[in-house]
Amino acid sequence: MHLEQLIRERRTIRKFNGIPVSENLVMQLMLKAEQLCPYEGEARWRYVYAGTPEAREKLADYLSEKIMGNKMTKLALGKLVESFHKRFMEVPANVIAIAKTDPVPGKNAEAYGRLCRILQNFQLLAWEQQLGMVWKTEPAPVLQNEQFYNRIGLNEDERFVGLLQIGYFDKAPKGRTRTPAERRWTAMESSSFGNV
Amino acid sequence: MKLIDQVIVPLSELQIDHHRPVSQKLVLELLNHAVWAPNHMLREPWRFIYVDRGEVDKLEWFSHHPAAHLIIVIKNSSNPMKQNENIAAAFCLIQNFQLLANERELGVNICVHKWMSDRQACAKLGVSEKETIVAVLELAYGVKHQGGRQRKLPNSLNWSLLSEG
Repeated sequence: MHLEQLIRERRTIRKFNGIPVSENLVMQLMLKAEQLCPYEGEARWRYVYAGTPEAREKLADYLSEKIMGNKMTKLALGKLVESFHKRFMEVPANVIAIAKTDPVPGKNAEAYGRLCRILQNFQLLAWEQQLGMVWKTEPAPVLQNEQFYNRIGLNEDERFVGLLQIGYFDKAPKGRTRTPAERRWTAMESSSFGNV
Repeated sequence: MKLIDQVIVPLSELQIDHHRPVSQKLVLELLNHAVWAPNHMLREPWRFIYVDRGEVDKLEWFSHHPAAHLIIVIKNSSNPMKQNENIAAAFCLIQNFQLLANERELGVNICVHKWMSDRQACAKLGVSEKETIVAVLELAYGVKHQGGRQRKLPNSLNWSLLSEG
């Protein structure tokens, strides 16, 4: 029953308490996440970690830079961005997940899909350790823009898959019910081998 | 058992039991847990097509060995960023499904085929132009190959620190 419960009870966590997160633990869980997603050959993905106060400040700078670079938005949103910056900096651990791209569409989708599956394993494994996270994919000007990609060192043959903000938490939000699978279900069956 | 102690045995490492069907009831039961996957704005972009073995024989591009196939389809979004989020959500659901199936000793192969983008193949499965097939799951029961090749598990990560950049 444990696994079903784990999958159903995991929540996205956006508000963390101040308890520090060990980089070693994050790495161990990510390695287990990969092991739970068997693959052949080379890994076509990588991770960039920001956990020290210096690295977190740098990441917060990168995340606010694009908005602050524009004089108009700086005037209008300066205060707001400052509070964003502070919140970004307070996130105990950050993992940027990056996948290799490939001119062959199938290979491209394969690497992206596999990394997504690894990140889901990681979310579940972390939840088992009372560690919460949010998988961020916000559009520009915060995340998905060239300036940010340059800052984090994204190569030409790579794509940004997500920023995981990770930390311990005091309160988990309530879950929102899901649509039953039966309502999204089509069966193609032969009468000889149908509903068993 | 805790997830941290689990080991995944994919379908490719099983000797398939051809007499044991995989029922719709079980697949639906597992899916109703798997749909708790994270997805942006609770869009739940997915739907499912179950194909039993009798039907698979009529679809030439399917492998005929597994007991059943489960096709994961998403609704397309015209916004490429949303499309990627929807694909990511579907893969989280697929991973949930694999973990749950593994616990029931049901083997799963997660396949991304070339024909998935073929319009004719999609039409035959009732997949419209406004949808994308994300993956095809092959499902079957089996026992682990005796003396089979031991798969090497990854033992290191491609890991770097932001400050090094």
